[in-house]
Amino acid sequence: MITLNVNGESHQLDVSPEMPLLWAIRDKLNLTGTKFGCGHAMCGACVVHLDGEAARSCSIMVGEAVGKRITTIEGISGPVAEAVTHAWQSLDVVQCGYCQSGQIMSAIVLLNENKNPTDEDINLGMEGNICRCGTYLRIRRAIHQAAKALA
Amino acid sequence: MANRNLYRTNQGLRARPGVLIVLLILLGTRSAVWGQTQSAGAGDSLAAWGKIVTVLQHPRCLNCHQLNSPLQGDSRRMHIPHVVRGADSHGVGPMRCGNCHNDSNNLTSRTPGAPEWSLAPVSMLWQGLSSGDLCRMLKDPARNGKRSPEALVEHMSSPLVLWGWNPGPGLEPVPIPHAEFINLMKVWAAGGTACPK
Repeated sequence: MITLNVNGESHQLDVSPEMPLLWAIRDKLNLTGTKFGCGHAMCGACVVHLDGEAARSCSIMVGEAVGKRITTIEGISGPVAEAVTHAWQSLDVVQCGYCQSGQIMSAIVLLNENKNPTDEDINLGMEGNICRCGTYLRIRRAIHQAAKALA
Repeated sequence: MANRNLYRTNQGLRARPGVLIVLLILLGTRSAVWGQTQSAGAGDSLAAWGKIVTVLQHPRCLNCHQLNSPLQGDSRRMHIPHVVRGADSHGVGPMRCGNCHNDSNNLTSRTPGAPEWSLAPVSMLWQGLSSGDLCRMLKDPARNGKRSPEALVEHMSSPLVLWGWNPGPGLEPVPIPHAEFINLMKVWAAGGTACPK
């Protein structure tokens, strides 16, 4: 039995420690806000937080998440999360929405580390989050807007 | 019951001549190797380096002994997605090495993994170095993490280095077996860490 702390709640799961964390989150815990995009840590749709750091849950194994605070898109909170989601809403960033959980999770980590990111910082930080609808310009604008709100 | 166990123990090697022979062969081999490393001269050392450098320049090693961004795969292409060193050599923001790479290979996502997955320190930049320059860098304590030749040999068995021999699906392991590589390192060290020009 493996114990995972997800969004502040403890869960006992009968899964292999090598199971991708994404599968445990979606299939065992029914938290489907985190998406499967590629399964190879290349697209960013699966980004969650482990102790506040980004983690690509399709690649990070359940065993590596034991003992850490796992936060999914359903459980984000705090001033940075609020600034990001508010900016996302006010700038109408989302089109189909499939990539956006991952985009938001990555943007929160970016702004936690860097309160005033330049365009280059945003390029490097958001490099691994792919959007097939091409909302990149709005994502960039939203990150800048969130940074201003947090200043 | 106790008597029977003592009886078995007392039989020991005398009752198992096959085991004794194998042990003697192994001991003999080991002392031959040790003898070779003890008596290695500069010529042996240089010859050993000729093989050692092929390991260091293999993609499993060279891909992360880069300046700002790792290479990826046997084709040594740019790492996709694009990642950079960052202040602590472990990446930046939501693109840190540990965000995707575990402490062991992930066979489902095919992401390789080992403890402390990261770029090598900048002082250990190997890309573009000739065999001679790489040799001189490797033995320079100012650039090799203050390691003596003995400590260098030990380092070649640390978990991240060992990963090179067990990289997971789709990646060629270092072609020289690890035990042979360690022996080459010992011969190189014992013969005075000789370097080509």
